[in-house]
Amino acid sequence: MESVDPLTLLPELILALAAVGALLFGSWTPRRRQGRVRLCVTAALLAALAATLVAAATGTGSDSGGHTVDTATHAVRVVVLVGVLATVLLAADTFAAHPRESEFHVLLLLAALGTMALAGASDLLVLAAAYLLASIPLYALVGFAKDSPGTEAALKFYLLGALSGILLLTGATLLLGAGGTTGYAGLADALPGAPRALVAAGVIAVLAGLLFKAGGVPVHFWVPDVAEGAPAPVAAFVTTVPKIGALAALYRWGDQVLAGAAPDWALPAALLAAASMTLGNLGAFLQTDARRLLGYSTVSQVGYLLMAVAAVGGRADLVQPGLLFYLGAYTAANLGAFAVVCALRARTLEDHAGLFRDHPWLALSLVVCLLGLVGTPPTAVFVGKLALFTAALEADLGWLMVLAAVNTVASLFYYLRWILPLFRASGEPPEERERSEPPGRWSTGVAVTAAAASLGMGIAAGPVLGLL
Amino acid sequence: MTASLWALVGLPAMVGAVLLVSGRRADPVAAPCAVAAAGLALAAAGVAAVSRPSVSVPMLAGIPAGLAVDGLSAVAVLTVAAVATAVLLFASAEMGADQARGRFFGLMLLFTAAMLVTVTATDLFTLLAAWEVMGALSYALIGYWWGEASRVRSATLAFVTTRAGDLGLYLAAGAALAGGAGALQLSGLAALDGGWRDAAVAGVVVAALGKSAQLPFSFWLSHAMAGPTPVSALLHSATMVAAGGYLLVRIEPALAATAWAGPVLVWAGAATALLLGAVAFHQSDLKQLLAASTCSQLGFVVMAAGAGSVGGGMLQFTAHAAAKSLLFLCAGVWLAARGTQELDGLRGAARRRPLAGAAFTVGALAVAGLPPLPLWTAKDEVLAAVLHLGPAPYAVGLAASAVGAAYAARALAAVWSPVPAEEGGASPEGSEQRPPPSEALPLAALAAATVGLGVLVLPAAARWWRALLGAAGGPQPPAWEMAVSGLLAAVVLAATWWMCARGRAEAASGRRWAGGWLGLETAADTLVVRPVAALAQALAAFDDRVLARGVRACADGVTRTADLARSRGETGADEAVRAVASGARTLAAWALRPQTGLLHQYYVQAVVALVVLAAVVVLMR
Repeated sequence: MESVDPLTLLPELILALAAVGALLFGSWTPRRRQGRVRLCVTAALLAALAATLVAAATGTGSDSGGHTVDTATHAVRVVVLVGVLATVLLAADTFAAHPRESEFHVLLLLAALGTMALAGASDLLVLAAAYLLASIPLYALVGFAKDSPGTEAALKFYLLGALSGILLLTGATLLLGAGGTTGYAGLADALPGAPRALVAAGVIAVLAGLLFKAGGVPVHFWVPDVAEGAPAPVAAFVTTVPKIGALAALYRWGDQVLAGAAPDWALPAALLAAASMTLGNLGAFLQTDARRLLGYSTVSQVGYLLMAVAAVGGRADLVQPGLLFYLGAYTAANLGAFAVVCALRARTLEDHAGLFRDHPWLALSLVVCLLGLVGTPPTAVFVGKLALFTAALEADLGWLMVLAAVNTVASLFYYLRWILPLFRASGEPPEERERSEPPGRWSTGVAVTAAAASLGMGIAAGPVLGLL
Repeated sequence: MTASLWALVGLPAMVGAVLLVSGRRADPVAAPCAVAAAGLALAAAGVAAVSRPSVSVPMLAGIPAGLAVDGLSAVAVLTVAAVATAVLLFASAEMGADQARGRFFGLMLLFTAAMLVTVTATDLFTLLAAWEVMGALSYALIGYWWGEASRVRSATLAFVTTRAGDLGLYLAAGAALAGGAGALQLSGLAALDGGWRDAAVAGVVVAALGKSAQLPFSFWLSHAMAGPTPVSALLHSATMVAAGGYLLVRIEPALAATAWAGPVLVWAGAATALLLGAVAFHQSDLKQLLAASTCSQLGFVVMAAGAGSVGGGMLQFTAHAAAKSLLFLCAGVWLAARGTQELDGLRGAARRRPLAGAAFTVGALAVAGLPPLPLWTAKDEVLAAVLHLGPAPYAVGLAASAVGAAYAARALAAVWSPVPAEEGGASPEGSEQRPPPSEALPLAALAAATVGLGVLVLPAAARWWRALLGAAGGPQPPAWEMAVSGLLAAVVLAATWWMCARGRAEAASGRRWAGGWLGLETAADTLVVRPVAALAQALAAFDDRVLARGVRACADGVTRTADLARSRGETGADEAVRAVASGARTLAAWALRPQTGLLHQYYVQAVVALVVLAAVVVLMR
């Protein structure tokens, strides 16, 4: 393995230093003044974002054999950093003056670091390390509130994560045995000649680990529980940000190793995509809890995103930009929807009745984000979906595209189940509504910003796609 | 010198518009402003008559709007502006402080401007616009006392009748466009292709006959007398009715180009001159007498246009304008003094008001065609041209001029007859007073003009007049002819006056028929109004019973079809939707089954799924 220029890893380094610094700073800061830590974390995130943008603009890249810095890595860094920033702001309403606020931020930064490492990994061992770094802080975060739903969610999350982690390590071992190396480049050369059953078992095992991070079928069981049980900002983060790294890693894994080594790779990937989108949608149909509904909705979104992984054999110039754009659009829309949930502290869909009259901006943001998740023009997800549908069609996966289109139409049903009550009169008596807390200011800001970003990215899709 | 032309039409129009929009606030200054505007327009008309300007502005694509003053229109603008000035000056005394003077003078000025545009227009487009404005304003002026329903009805009747004739101008404009006179120039009508030229000329002839109250349209002029006397003096001497005759004279080349238009116009004019002269003779109301006389006199202008005598026609136009406005103004003076227009009520009026009496006498003698007054010359010139078409129309024309002398004598006999003894000095006008200058001046000026125009009988003056109009070389009446007609007029005048003074004229036959304007209104009512109303009612019934019912039936049919579709077709669609929904619900329920909440089952499901997937990958090759 060659030596790595530390400058190419500057955003990761900033995050790591910020995590350690926040821990130390938080330890010596009075509990009442932990807001300072939040400020420092925000500054660090902005610095990392700046470093990423500078690196992307100057075209800096590297491939050390274990970690690759390229357009995909840059894009994932940007999306992840913005996502973490949004989460920090969302948490400002929930966790302000929380006794362990700095620990929350440390865990958040470490998970983000792991996610970014996942996206850049081009060696199974680096991938495994990044997987662990991206997972373990999240177990703690999910149970952060120490209440019973959070604890149950954390336990299920952890145990499924443990199974997937073991499978990932087992897969790495099997492939090392089959190919004699763990580097992607070496594996791409060696795997075509290796025993077929061995390769299949290894590939599926590695896939299981990454699918767990992405929250795709068949290791998606944690998603609804975590979305419902974890504190709202954590749920927003867990269902959004790690997926970005996992899907980038899946794409890199499929693109660099499997597309050449296993020509029939597309079928299992397409099956996984179909299963994810269909099961996620069907699961969301009958939900009455807004966060659980969003959890299932993310499972279906992973299904759409997996179409890119299934289409790696097709036109590369269409697939990768489409995937990255979709990831950004999905992050904006999903975080926006969660931000509304955070702001209102509402649980069921019926709790949102009359929202348009009481808080029109929040209601409009929610409408934009939910319609964005459906993929309604002119929101950004529409462009992402269009790109991935086209990619699937080009890769001879017409049936998958049709299924995805049917699923998109069907998904409108449960999003509308949430949207329609917004414009109905609230069932509660007025005095009771007035007694309820006002929506969190930070969360409202994030919701409106995310909705605006979703629209803005959709309208400016041409130039943005040109950058990817 | 196009400025003089713009001032000529623009000044009255603008001052009139300002007066109109100012409402009653403008009342105190309305009369001076109007007289000043008319006076300036008269000055501009003088300048324009000498400098002969012409302007043209782009209006529609390929159709410019043009105004020009040539010999013909020079005479017309001077006549119109002079009569308008005199009438407005007179009206400034006549219209008291209790009247809406802003509205009156505003309308009068706008009307004058429209007439000036009409006589200077070089194309059908401008002509049509001014013609329509003139028609609309005549409605407003005749119906000036709108508080009385009968006057408004009279205004409507006059407007609708002339408006019906106006449609001819639209026909003419359409025919000119279709026939290739793209710019709608009046001078281009003669050069149109055969059929289109006939259509255009026919349209103009109908419009002109309607406007000039010739047969069979004459009856509207009787109703037009419902307006104030100055309105009658302006509308029914130099403008409005004169516009029709003037237009015919202007397009005389096009009339000559068709074989039929000349005889038709000559006969129409001759018939009108004779029959309406008879009508005038039998009127018992002075203004009605003057109105019928207007029709009769304009008949000579129409005859002139038909016979191609531009010089005679324009002389008749000008001299009649001066004489008739003078007569109307005198009638106005007596109406104001005595409160009546009845000839019986006006007995001795001329003796009480010597100035008005003298002026009236000048006007009446002119209308009678007594030498050497100008209408005598004019009629003889026209008749000389008519003689070329045959003796019959000549004879009718001569008879008409004799009838003119008869009704003039009747009017003169009435106003000069001795004052009945019982009225003595107790009449309202008993205290004689000097007429105000604003009343005396117009009367004197118009009387002087009437007499002065007589100079055109002199051969040198007549030659200048013809050269001015570009009509040199027309047939000239021989001296004996003029002597005969002059003698005839004098004899008839004297005889009728004598008979009337003895009270014998009342027995003349045909009194009821002619006194009622030949039953023209009844005829129009029977022949046109009632059939049109019946047709409209029939069409309304058709609309109600067939069209509306059809639409309703269509709507009912759609509703019934919709009901059918709902009861039959929609059930299937509903069931399909319901099936999809229940299917989706079942699937959704199944989708929730793996989410048991039991971790060991999650493990089993995940591992089984992954093993199956691995098996698929292995078995695929």
